[in-house]
Formats: sequence, structure tokens, C-alpha cells
Amino acid sequence: MIKELIGQIYLDKTSGNNRLERIWKLAQIDFKKRYYNDKLGVLWALLNPLLQVSIYYFVFKMVMQRGEDDFALFLFVGLVIWTTFMMGTKQGINIFKLKRYLIENIQFNKIDLFLSHILSVFMGFCFNLGAYFAIAVIYGIKFDFLYMLMTLILIILIIFVNILGVCLILSTFSIFLKDIDHIWDFTLLCGFWTAGIFFPIEKIIEKFPVIIYLNPMLGLIDNARRVLMYKTPIDWGIMSINLIQGIGFLALGLFVFYKYSGKAIEKL
Amino acid sequence: MSNNSEISIKVKNLSKSFDFQEDSISSIKEGLYNIFKRKNNRQLKALNNINFEIKKGEFLGIVGRNGSGKSTLLKLLIGAFRPDKGSIININGKILRLALGMGFDGNLSARDNIYINGSVLGLSFKYIGEIFDQIIEFSELHDFIDVPVKHFSSGMKSRLTFSIAMYANADIFLIDEFFGGVGDESFKKKSEDFFKDNFLTGKTIIHVSHSLSNLLKFSDRILYLHKGEMMALGKPEEVIELYKESFKEEFREKQKKV
Repeated sequence: MIKELIGQIYLDKTSGNNRLERIWKLAQIDFKKRYYNDKLGVLWALLNPLLQVSIYYFVFKMVMQRGEDDFALFLFVGLVIWTTFMMGTKQGINIFKLKRYLIENIQFNKIDLFLSHILSVFMGFCFNLGAYFAIAVIYGIKFDFLYMLMTLILIILIIFVNILGVCLILSTFSIFLKDIDHIWDFTLLCGFWTAGIFFPIEKIIEKFPVIIYLNPMLGLIDNARRVLMYKTPIDWGIMSINLIQGIGFLALGLFVFYKYSGKAIEKL
Repeated sequence: MSNNSEISIKVKNLSKSFDFQEDSISSIKEGLYNIFKRKNNRQLKALNNINFEIKKGEFLGIVGRNGSGKSTLLKLLIGAFRPDKGSIININGKILRLALGMGFDGNLSARDNIYINGSVLGLSFKYIGEIFDQIIEFSELHDFIDVPVKHFSSGMKSRLTFSIAMYANADIFLIDEFFGGVGDESFKKKSEDFFKDNFLTGKTIIHVSHSLSNLLKFSDRILYLHKGEMMALGKPEEVIELYKESFKEEFREKQKKV
């Protein structure tokens, strides 16, 4: 495996030193494609979380009379992180199939496909986050920028490490097992209701503490809320669990990728 | 061609076998059924012990019948497939495979596709910007720069492919049944001239084709593959004679049976 890793790096040397530029271009084009045929284009990246928040706000706050005063913001943070994870992994499953046209005609490091995918998901995430800040300002939330910057970057990093790891695993296996799509859909549904998007984390942990280990987004969303809404200190215990999870997923993902992606590509 | 002796591609002991199961598992359900069954693995040797060296600037033609391993060989060279253990592939330079609709994403415009292909070929955006007009000019697609490529006819696609390839500075081209001229008569003439004058000089080319007359015209050497084995490698006339001979033999045998 290490030999192959070195081989991949060696391959890069021969294929030019514009690798970063290429990853950037692929990400840019992925991002563009997602909003390509839409009239409103990139505005959807801003509108999408807003519309989602309004639906859930209506159901939980207006109809069921649940939630605090800042329930809209509470939902917003949860939904933005969850949708990023969901879209990132769902689109990531098909990376090999979508990028087959490149794999078969051009010599390059296949992991670039994943890096550019993560980058394009991150671009969408930034738009969502921008929308959040706009609304938070209207709500009158003041930010301690230095503290926020340091902690938020770490949280975002862990989120994206998780996405990358999951993408590497799923995309490789999806070629051998075609129903991974459906299984992942169901897993995401389970994750959606256990990620603490609608309830505070305590309500879930009280009864089912194990979920903190099963669903990384639960802890990450809670910590993001601490930074983005409440300005309370981060729960470093949960954060370190999430960090270890993320690293674990990434390590497993890289292992699966380097061990099986070659076989997977043959089966495309 | 001063560096005539420089080796561009070196292939040693190259083998490639595919594992496949008689009933290949593609869903979890089938996987569970098969867990207790004994696996029925079979191996297919697509290529067996291929050895050759190609000098820089050489034009190597590859002939062989369907299923002889030609496409597998190209995919191994491009790095899409991994060879079996013990195989050695040394490639000296940037490599690109030319096929119809190469590397195009149908939903993207010609402009984006030019950038992405050029970039993957190792060109900087600055350089692509400089040659962009030339590529469009050559491909005669002025009115379609921002049209998604999926709306292109196959002729337009091959014109675009050809034009990018002409300006891309890859050192090694793998060409899959894509000879000199593409498109309508006028473009064919233009591209064939360009192919002869600019493309062939200094570039290493591996061309897989069934068009024997074209191969005879351009090739320096020809490699003849049959069922994954290297049958011959040498002077075009001789190898093609051998290849033709194999058809004649088969024909005779068939006649005998009748």
C-alpha cells in the first residue's frame, strides 16, 4: 500500500505541477454544474437552507409549539451542516461513474477527484454559512471573531474529513455493490433524525448516549451551535470523539481507496 | 529529432488478468446468498508477458482482432487499470488517450471542456487562455463555444477533440481508431495535413487501428496481439503480412470443415 502511495506521488511529478490548479478547476466546474440549468443559479445555495428552515420552523414551532425563541437559528445551523454532509456523501458515491470520462483517457491521480469534490461541497457550504451570518446579524447575535474563527475552522475541518472518508469508502464499494445507494439513503434518514437538528443534544444523549458514537454530526452540530449561537465553550470531550471518528473514517477510506479502487475502476 | 535514442515507453513482463465470478455479485442480497457457497472464481488473462520499448518520436501501430487485448493495453498505459504483479511500465512524459468524445463532460460547454482537458493535460490556465482562440479557430466551432457538448454532433465532438489534442503538449499519444482526418471532407483534409506536418514530429504515438493501409503509411513498427499474446513486433509490411495470413488460415480451416 505504501508503495502504491509513493507510486501515485511519483505519477504526479510526471504529469505536471499544475495539480492544485486542476483540482480547483474541477471543483469550480462541479459547483457550476450543480446550479447550471437553474434560472436562479448560485442563489439556490442561499435559498435552499432558508426554504428548508421555513418548513421545519412551521411544523415544529408554529404547529407543534416546540422550541425556543431562536429556534430558526437553531434549525439553520443543524440543517446547513446536515445538508452539507448529506449532499456531499450522496454525490460522492457516484464519483467514479461521473468522472469515468477522465479516468479512462487521461493519466492523473484519482484522489484528485475526491479532493475537488470536497472543495466544491465546501464552496456550497460557504454560501450557506454566509446566509446564516446574514440572518444571525438580523437576530442581533454578536460574534467573538477570534474565538469563533479558531473553533469553527476545527469543526468545519472535522465535518469535511468525515465527508471525505465516507466518500472514499462508498464510491469504491458502490461499484461492487450496487444497492449501496439505497442503504446509504436509509442510513442518512436515520442520521437525519438523530443528528440533533430539531432537538438539543441533551435530549438525545440522555436516553441514547451511544448515538454520539454512531452519528458524528450530532456532536458537530451541537458544537457548531455553541460557537455560532450561544457563545458557550465547546464540549471538547465530544469534539475529540468526533475528531477520532473523522480520522478513523479517513484512514479507512484511504485504505479502501488504495486497496480496491483499482479493481473498482476495472468494473466500471 | 536529436534525442532519437531516448526511451519513451518501456514495458516489461506486462500481464493483466481479470478476476471474475461466474455469477458476479452486485447486490447485498446475492452477496448474502453466496457467502456460504464456494466462490467460483475464474481468471481471464487479457494480456500475457508483453515486452516492448518505444523510442521517443516513434509511431507504433497495434493490430489485433477483437478481444486481443489492445484496449486493455491502452488502459494499462494510461493508468486506468493496474497491471499484475511483476509487470513494469515506465512512461517518460505526459500521456493522453485520444478517442471520440475524449474526456468530455456532456453537460459542460466547449469552453469548460477545453479548460478541463487542457488542465488535466498539464497546461496552465494562462497557456490555455493563450491558445484558446487557436483551438476554436481550428475546430471551426466559433458559434458553439458556450453550448453544452451533449448537443454537439459526433463530428463536432471529434473536431474539438482533435483540436485540443493538436495544441496539448502531451508527449505520448494513445490513439484508438482515430486516424488523421475526422469530420467532413474539408476538415478531414485540414486535420490530416496538420497531423502529418505538426503532430507526428517529435511525439510518441501508439495507434490502435483496423485500418491497415493507414497503419502502413504512418507506422515505424507494428505490434501484433492475439488473445493477449505478443505475436510479432517489427517492420510494418512484415507484421501486417503475418496478420493477414492469420485470417487466411482461419478461412482455410473453416472451408475444410465445411
